Amino acid sequence: MSHSHYNRNQYAARRRSGMNRNQNSVAFVSSIKLGPVTHTVLVALMITVLGLIYLTQAIKATSYDYETEKISSQITRLEEEQVNLEVENAKLTALSEVRDSSVARAMVSPEAPSYVNN
Amino acid sequence: MPTDVLANRRIRILATLSMIVLAIFVVRLFQLQVIDHSKYVALARQEQEKRLIIPAMRGELYVMDDGKPVKAVLNQTVYTMFVDPEIVDEPEKVVKTIRQIVGGNTVKGYEDSVYQEDTRYVVVAKKVSYTQAQLVREKKLKGIGFQAESARVYPEGSLAAQTLGFVDVDGVGQYGIEGMFDKQLKGTDGLLQSVTDVANVPLTIGDKNINIPAKNGKNIALTLDRSVQAYAELALAKGIKKSGADAGSVIVMDPNNGKVMAMANLPTYNPGELNKIQSFAQVNNGVVATPYEPGSVMKTFTLATGIDKGVISPDSTYNNTDYIRVDDRVISNASKGQTGTITMQHALNWSLNTGMVTIAERLGDGSINRTARDTMYHYLYDKFRLGQKTGIEVYGESAGRIISPSETEGNAVRYSNMTFGQGMDLTMVQVAASFSAMINGGTYYSPSVIAGSVSDEGVFTPEAQRETYGGIIKPSTSAKMRDMIVKARTAFYADNDRKGYTVGGKTGTSQTIVDGSYDNGQTVATYLGFGGDTKPKYVIMVQVSGKNKNLAGNYDAMPIFTDISNWIIDYLTLQPKV
Repeated sequence: MSHSHYNRNQYAARRRSGMNRNQNSVAFVSSIKLGPVTHTVLVALMITVLGLIYLTQAIKATSYDYETEKISSQITRLEEEQVNLEVENAKLTALSEVRDSSVARAMVSPEAPSYVNN
Repeated sequence: MPTDVLANRRIRILATLSMIVLAIFVVRLFQLQVIDHSKYVALARQEQEKRLIIPAMRGELYVMDDGKPVKAVLNQTVYTMFVDPEIVDEPEKVVKTIRQIVGGNTVKGYEDSVYQEDTRYVVVAKKVSYTQAQLVREKKLKGIGFQAESARVYPEGSLAAQTLGFVDVDGVGQYGIEGMFDKQLKGTDGLLQSVTDVANVPLTIGDKNINIPAKNGKNIALTLDRSVQAYAELALAKGIKKSGADAGSVIVMDPNNGKVMAMANLPTYNPGELNKIQSFAQVNNGVVATPYEPGSVMKTFTLATGIDKGVISPDSTYNNTDYIRVDDRVISNASKGQTGTITMQHALNWSLNTGMVTIAERLGDGSINRTARDTMYHYLYDKFRLGQKTGIEVYGESAGRIISPSETEGNAVRYSNMTFGQGMDLTMVQVAASFSAMINGGTYYSPSVIAGSVSDEGVFTPEAQRETYGGIIKPSTSAKMRDMIVKARTAFYADNDRKGYTVGGKTGTSQTIVDGSYDNGQTVATYLGFGGDTKPKYVIMVQVSGKNKNLAGNYDAMPIFTDISNWIIDYLTLQPKV
């Protein structure tokens, strides 16, 4: 029978701890036994892995910072170019520039206009 | 001693020593990590965190062009170019590149500085443009660096220089709009506090990061019309050259809303070349900052007062003898010979002082008594708002002065002189704004140069109309004054104007006070007038002056008015009357 390894004492202990009949208290018991040194090494390894995960995330976040900085620099450069073009445009369309242009020099004074009065 | 006892003793000593060393470590660590905790945290933060000021862009200034705002003052990033002689490996090539690309911006002795050995930072050129900097960068020369800074750019050169003002080397606005609105134009700097790497790149790690964006300064659009301003400056320069004067000013105003379309002053300067300014006169906005005695143009105000009070009409007559006595003084006409019984219109046409003094006498039932003086003061100061600041949004406005009858100096002689524009100090903007009220039906519009604001996206938001004061004079008085002023101009100068338009004006030639007394050898020429089609559309006031120069309103100021008036009729596309 499957309950053959149960003894009276175990049953009494289960009743005391409030467990019901036919409720499993042990699912699996490994035959591998770990000593304290192995435990320590495993814990250290887990901490290291967690640390590495943290570092990876931190580095990943920092890499975004560099990407952001790169894009910001690009935006700044493009804005500078835009401003520069605006200034050039303003200079080229300044009245003094237009007045002295070859087109303006070639213009003639208009004839006296006629008006239609309704 | 047995060996094991000795060994135990040594172990105990070693253990004790170890304990002492450990205790020292513990104490030291306690001191470092607990007692001095905040100190070292602060030191670490100082090392790892950077506080960077994000500079706000200074607001730009716009003028109007065909009803739309266009930039008149812009910001541009310029660079200070420097070299690190220790890194420069091709000094001759560096010098050649600097000369070829930024030759006009170099500092004195830049050629030698490239070879200097005792320094690692030498400025070789200033205000290098973005294009120039790019060209130099493309050469990929070692040891050349650039420091960016923002600078004002004035694409229109000296256009409206005194109204715009300038920004000094410390970034502070001076004079004009720059001076008046320095705080609003400056904006608010932002702050970036962050952990940075060795290259000062801000990193998101850290729990004390701050990122407050900069708030750029306000972009201000002025009412000045670019074309009107340019033409006014051109006409003024031509007129001054012709008359041999030293200085002059012009204001062009829309009489129906008080908005200033042009404000020109000569001599002038280019705000982009501050090192070339030689005198204060160049930066002074005489239109708002320099009160003077306007002379006979003020006769229009005396007539308006007389008509509005009902003591005269344009056709009222008086006996002109070319002289009139006021207390112990005899006042004479500059133009003599129009003697006999003449009308007030005739007196205005010939600019006769006696006619104006007569009006003042009629305000007091025959003498320039306290009643007459109080009435004149009430009209000039309270109604026409002369002798006080108009509140125009330009730096350095002067109040001028009209002496009250309650003051000792406000006697009959003073007030008789005031009827023809002497004995009072007024600015051109005051006179132009009051004159606008006189001919627009009687509403005083506080003069303004602010049209509105422009967002960073280029959206224009108009400014609300400044204070208006209705009923300064009766509409009927205003209509009579328009008619009188047109007749005063057409009586002598009808051929100067474009046919089919309503153009009126009055000359003014005022003596200046030299060493405490009026000097006939130094006179200021003024012309004040308006023009339009079915109603007045523009008011122009011109003033021309010069040291030891005898200048006359009709010869030296009026031609400038005529030039601008005939041009602006086309510009505003006014249609002539049939």
